[in-house]
Amino acid sequence: MTSNSAPKMTASRVNVFYGDKQAIRDVSIDVRQEDVTAFIGPSGCGKSTFLRTLNRMNDTIAGARVEGDIRLDGEDIYARAMDVVQLRARVGMVFQKPNPFPKSIFENVAYGPRIHGLARSKADLAQIVERSLVRAGLWGEVKDRLHDSGTALSGGQQQRLCIARAIAVDPEVILMDEPCSALDPIATARIEELIHELRGRYAIVIVTHNMQQAARVSQRTAFFHLGQLVEYGDTSDIFTNPREERTKDYITGRYG
Amino acid sequence: MNSAPPSPAAPVRTPTDWQSPAMQRRIRHRYAAERRFRWLGLGAVSLSAAFLVFLLATMIGQGANGFLETRIALPIDLRAAKVDVPPARLAGPGGDLALAGAGLEGAVDAAANAAFPQQGGAAVLSDGAWLRVRDAVKRDPSLLSRPATIDVPVATDIDVALKGDGTPESEAIVSALRPRLSKGLNLSFFSGADATDPTRAGIWGALKGSLFTMLVTLALAFPVGVLSALYLEEYAPRNRWTDLIEVSINNLAAVPSIIFGLLGLAVFLNTFHMPRSAALVGGLTLALMTMPVIVIAGRNAIKGVPPSIRDAARGLGASPIQVVFHHVLPLALPGILTGTIIGMARALGETAPLLMIGMRAFIAAPPDKLTDPATALPVQIFLWSDEVAKGFVEKTSAAIIVLLAFLLAMNGIAIYLRNRFETRW
Ligand SMILES: Nc1ncnc2c1ncn2[C@@H]1O[C@H](COP(=O)(O)OP(=O)(O)OP(=O)(O)O)[C@@H](O)[C@H]1O
Ligand SMILES: [Mg+2]
Repeated sequence: MTSNSAPKMTASRVNVFYGDKQAIRDVSIDVRQEDVTAFIGPSGCGKSTFLRTLNRMNDTIAGARVEGDIRLDGEDIYARAMDVVQLRARVGMVFQKPNPFPKSIFENVAYGPRIHGLARSKADLAQIVERSLVRAGLWGEVKDRLHDSGTALSGGQQQRLCIARAIAVDPEVILMDEPCSALDPIATARIEELIHELRGRYAIVIVTHNMQQAARVSQRTAFFHLGQLVEYGDTSDIFTNPREERTKDYITGRYG
Repeated sequence: MNSAPPSPAAPVRTPTDWQSPAMQRRIRHRYAAERRFRWLGLGAVSLSAAFLVFLLATMIGQGANGFLETRIALPIDLRAAKVDVPPARLAGPGGDLALAGAGLEGAVDAAANAAFPQQGGAAVLSDGAWLRVRDAVKRDPSLLSRPATIDVPVATDIDVALKGDGTPESEAIVSALRPRLSKGLNLSFFSGADATDPTRAGIWGALKGSLFTMLVTLALAFPVGVLSALYLEEYAPRNRWTDLIEVSINNLAAVPSIIFGLLGLAVFLNTFHMPRSAALVGGLTLALMTMPVIVIAGRNAIKGVPPSIRDAARGLGASPIQVVFHHVLPLALPGILTGTIIGMARALGETAPLLMIGMRAFIAAPPDKLTDPATALPVQIFLWSDEVAKGFVEKTSAAIIVLLAFLLAMNGIAIYLRNRFETRW
């Protein structure tokens, strides 16, 4: 496939309001299947807000309102006929703070497949759990203690557990909201490696404050500022040759 | 001259002297405050512990006698008294009737009159003494054909005199009969219901009544309370109506219990014509009272579940009801159970509302159904404490011990459940 194929997700002219306050203004973005897309921008510019519109997690916030058109494989995800529960299974999410369930490691990963009936048997379920943990690069560390609590792992392990949990339902898109912000450089490197390995199999969108990280893991970068999309393009272009003054100021560290 | 003037933002400050007297004084004050607080806390805890010990000691001291009965050895020859029932009839359900028809009660009175004529004969025995003989005969039919000595309970005044609080006349009788008297565990106290004669009064009726009442209360208040709490926290929109409901529930939890009794009387008895004095109505009334407590505790417990857990489940595509029942409820359950214990403990000790719906009647048989007339432990305690007959004093204390034991058992179960559901993070 080339990068000219139909995008996995398209957002056009999206506005998001929290009550009367507008957090996202007229943002249009295409997310491609084969790329990792990074969202960068100063704190409070609306990266998380926009990310959450992609799997309708904003629905659960009282007072939040989304306008515009967002499509997954051409299907309007805000349409009446769209089932939110299925949408979130297809568009998985990894949060900023690792949030494993206070259950065993096995149960954490098995939960998604179980509620969606993805496993035909117990053995099948065990296989899904193993495969997900292997893909998340955690299997070697936890294979002997699958029945220990997921909350007893280290922060970096917990975040990889959350990634394993997200890929266990076999989503098409994975949204990651600053997945490394609570981790040390080694754990961060581990997750970046993981994103490399997952690339292509899933469309990945990652929010990050770390410019190097965006440069390392992504092929496409979107720069947000004050709720607007300032610039969106190939990561190499954005970092070496930004078109906008504000982008340049941000990535050279003049503000943020 | 200064070539680089200090920036105006940095004020000039002398280094902190951690050894200065003022600093030392602050440290001493801090330690003193810590010590004072520890002593205050310890004092508060000891005070409440002392109250508890005092309460338990008086209750057990007074109530222990309530579990005992005085028995007298009664020589009796049923063959000579011509009480004759064929053994085949004894075994069946008609056995009691057959023995009564054969004149057992008269024979027991006659035996007492013959054995201790000076001391009042049959008047020494409890009203229920012949029932004890009847049970003995049913266990051992050979008693019908040979002379024997059977321990039977004595009348209240003798019992009270032996326990040290009798009239001069009964003291005299006790000293005359001393060698024949013995003490034993009053089993009928645990199996009988209320009676006019304190030696025959039992707690089982009230205990069963309380048990039934609590079951009804729990069966109604727990699910309704938990579901309301879940709905209000997880589903209901935040608006004026839900605010109003919240205020009403908080107020409801503070309404005096007698008002709930009046409500129960008006609604369940007068409007729905449910049976008076029934455990069912008592349970419903107490459930009205317990529900708000469970709702409030439940909402707090549900609020305490970290939002990140909800997000995690939603992000995996869990439906709202799966989020609630797979994640929120299990994590909130320990807190909900704590609230339920508090509510149920309050309901168990509640007397006023039960009085209003007629559970204060004299009821001489333990209830078999929820709709049977019944009484409850606190009401029984209230009724017995009001009795003039001396023997009821110790029965009252004994009943209080039973009530406390019930409470303890209930709390024990709840604590066990809470620990089982406690999630380790
Ligand atoms: N639940 C909410 N209710 C009201 N306003 C909100 C809510 N969440 C975010 N906002 C506002 O929307 C704007 C965008 O917030 P958002 O969390 O998307 O920023 P962000 O780019 O993710 O910032 P950060 O990098 O610090 O995470 C902010 O001004 C924020 O105050
Ligand atoms: Mg954010």
